[in-house]
Amino acid sequence: MKREHTNHDNFSSSGSCSSSSKPPMWPCDADDELFAVLGYSVKPSDMADVAQKIEHLEQVMCSVENDGLSQLASDTTHYNPSDLSSWLESMISGLNPTPDFDSGVNRMVVDSDFGSDLTAIPGKAVYPNPRAKPPSPAKKLKLSPQETESSESIVMVDSQENGIKLVHSLMACAEAVQKENFKLAEALVKNIGFLAVSQAGAMRKVATYFAEALARRIYGLYPANPDSGFTDLLQMHFYETCPYLKFAHFSANQAILESFAGRDLVHVVDFSMKQGMQWPPLLQALALRPGGPPRFRLTAVGPPSTDNTDQLKEIGRKLGQLANSINVEFEYRGLVTNSLADLTAALVGRREGETVAVNSIFDLHPLLARPGAIDTVLRVVTEVKPEIFTVVEQEANHNGSVFSDRFTEALHYYSTLFDSLESCGGGSDEDRVMSEIYLGRQICNVVACEGADRVERHETLGQWRRRLGAAGFEAVHIGSNAHKQASVLLELFGGGDGYRVEEKHGCLMLGWHTRPLFATSAWRLAS
Amino acid sequence: MLFLQRVVPLHTWILISTFKLSYNLLRRPDGTFNRDLNEYLDRNVTANAVPVDGMYSFDTVDRLTGLANRIYLPARDNEPQLGIVEVEKPLSTSEVVPVIVFFHGGSFVHSSASSAIYDTFCRRLVKTCKAAVVSVNYRRSPEHRYPCAYDDGLTALKWVNSRAWLRSGKENDLKVHIYLAGDSSGGNIAHHVALRAADEGVEVLGNILLHPLFGGEERTESEKRLDGKYFVRIQERDWYWRAYLPEGEDRDHPACNVFGPRSLSLEGLSFPKSLVVVAGLDLLQDWQIGYVEGLKKYGHDVKLLYLEKATIGFYFLPNNEHFESLMDEIKSFIQS
Repeated sequence: MKREHTNHDNFSSSGSCSSSSKPPMWPCDADDELFAVLGYSVKPSDMADVAQKIEHLEQVMCSVENDGLSQLASDTTHYNPSDLSSWLESMISGLNPTPDFDSGVNRMVVDSDFGSDLTAIPGKAVYPNPRAKPPSPAKKLKLSPQETESSESIVMVDSQENGIKLVHSLMACAEAVQKENFKLAEALVKNIGFLAVSQAGAMRKVATYFAEALARRIYGLYPANPDSGFTDLLQMHFYETCPYLKFAHFSANQAILESFAGRDLVHVVDFSMKQGMQWPPLLQALALRPGGPPRFRLTAVGPPSTDNTDQLKEIGRKLGQLANSINVEFEYRGLVTNSLADLTAALVGRREGETVAVNSIFDLHPLLARPGAIDTVLRVVTEVKPEIFTVVEQEANHNGSVFSDRFTEALHYYSTLFDSLESCGGGSDEDRVMSEIYLGRQICNVVACEGADRVERHETLGQWRRRLGAAGFEAVHIGSNAHKQASVLLELFGGGDGYRVEEKHGCLMLGWHTRPLFATSAWRLAS
Repeated sequence: MLFLQRVVPLHTWILISTFKLSYNLLRRPDGTFNRDLNEYLDRNVTANAVPVDGMYSFDTVDRLTGLANRIYLPARDNEPQLGIVEVEKPLSTSEVVPVIVFFHGGSFVHSSASSAIYDTFCRRLVKTCKAAVVSVNYRRSPEHRYPCAYDDGLTALKWVNSRAWLRSGKENDLKVHIYLAGDSSGGNIAHHVALRAADEGVEVLGNILLHPLFGGEERTESEKRLDGKYFVRIQERDWYWRAYLPEGEDRDHPACNVFGPRSLSLEGLSFPKSLVVVAGLDLLQDWQIGYVEGLKKYGHDVKLLYLEKATIGFYFLPNNEHFESLMDEIKSFIQS
């Protein structure tokens, strides 16, 4: 369509979020621009059909009594008036009386389209790419697990005007940074500050963190490298506040337990020791298994302590005490190293007759910050010849090379995560605040840092699958038992029915509503 | 219908028919109105403080009505405008930047400044006329009858007139250069606000009326000829007047029949020059042309732009020559 005025660049396809399930793939399938600008979603190929429906309706309406018309109108349920074709359709069927018409039902007008009044924030710059979907209705989602890729991004935002303005200002700022238009970016980031404080709850926090991160990037005030001890502490609070880490531990342990079935000598190599919270439940499960527990060895890998204590040793000691109390033979060794890439198979050690499980919770993605590190580590793991290699990672691509894409991904991801934090009831207030700081630091890292400093290089399950496949691993199916038990765990945890456990290609994903957030996968050496 | 579709471009036909359909559902024979459904069906858009296409918009709340009027300002070069309006700085200190106070249509009942059709139209005005636009949300009937819309219009006019940041001109001669504009009921409002402005000494440089809503008890020839032919029926027009005019009044009330039996004299008033646009397929054209004659009779400057094949709402879509003629006319009207 020839462009008479560029004003219809101002608006992207509007209001089609609840009627169509995915954005148009091809240009000729896109909504008509002239209508889109006016708030209506009509495909060029549908126009004749729409005209016909209008004619039909006019004829039908003529035959209806004048008095009856407005009554009938309010008795129809109006879905998404932007989608003219289906709106007209619903009117046509509404005006043809149906058998249950008299039951007095449906006097309400259902606003199932939260998006329609919020569409059309003008400007290409504000929509980062034509594929971006408008925000979809909050909290009205499918109940069954789905097989879709997590590339469908959903922004859980407050439906007030300022909320939408805020999201778009954030994205516009990211784009300005991408284009190195720092003057514009600077002005936008100041404005974001104003808009952020007009929000409440999750949106306010997310926006504030992202704004800060952007500001740091713009002004070159990069954050100092995080103190690992403090990060561990933050992660503990995160563990208390919401079920994600518990789920991670639980599902990894399930896989490890299954792989240890019938084995008498087991060795867990934990890349992610931290406070060792994953292991008591595993030890207990091993203690209770039919046939009695195996002899259990734990090699814990961790960074050097920043204070004078020997954290790893201390935690090992405590675990030893627990193991003793439940009669599990326990041996422990701590491996202190600055980076997993400094490990060798020899250092890790493998004894004759041992069944080895290697465990990594959020420790693979930081390796992507240095070239070659991930390959080194994966190779070392293969050399250790584990029975199982459990991997838990954030289910998001925050490692794209294009800054603005990365930014948008992260915005969606952390918005969802903060949203779920707000809704889930676990932990004390302090836990919650610390959890937010924990996530806020990740946001800062994703947005403000580059190179070796940018360690929060999350990648999706699909991406990890490729990497692990290339390194010689194949996926182990995490049993449906684990899935069921994870669901039960979540029930117990509370937070309403926002959490979703999904199984995908044998891996388990935990998410908030339809957005998967964390993925647990299990691997073994390919035969 | 098929014939109509040949005269009117398909997009326009679909758009106006959709409005017509929706509006039919909303008006009740007893004079009441399904306001909730109206608001739900209205496609609206938010203001955007991020500049797009050389302009940005933001809403300000009118203290009298509590309604948000929408301001559109041209974005200045080299300065990202982000909802932070400088209350001291004028629009320009080197040239005149007109300010168009726009009253949206909707027969006094429908639409608002945030309706997509009007937001789009105002943006086109900003672009074409290189003007600032203030789109006024006046209180609508049947909840608020005459004279609310005119009161609100005058309030908005005075507010605009007193904004330092809407002034322009040469450094030592800064003032707000105001034009009133409106389509359908908005055109009617523009006329009456201009009248009151004249009384109160607020200078309005010009009136732009797009098929303004006027009427009277008499059934004119165009009303009879075009009744029901191009989206509009006389019956509906009557309903809207009944909803707007004070209860018990008829259409010869001076709000509606400006130059009728109960009209006020415009003699000697400092009334602005007017551009009146009439759509050749609008059944109200006889009233509109009568309005033009009335203004001339009192010696006021008025230009009639008659678009023979245009229907109501032709200006919502830029896909026709009527739209282009309109924009050219408005532009030269403001620039002259």
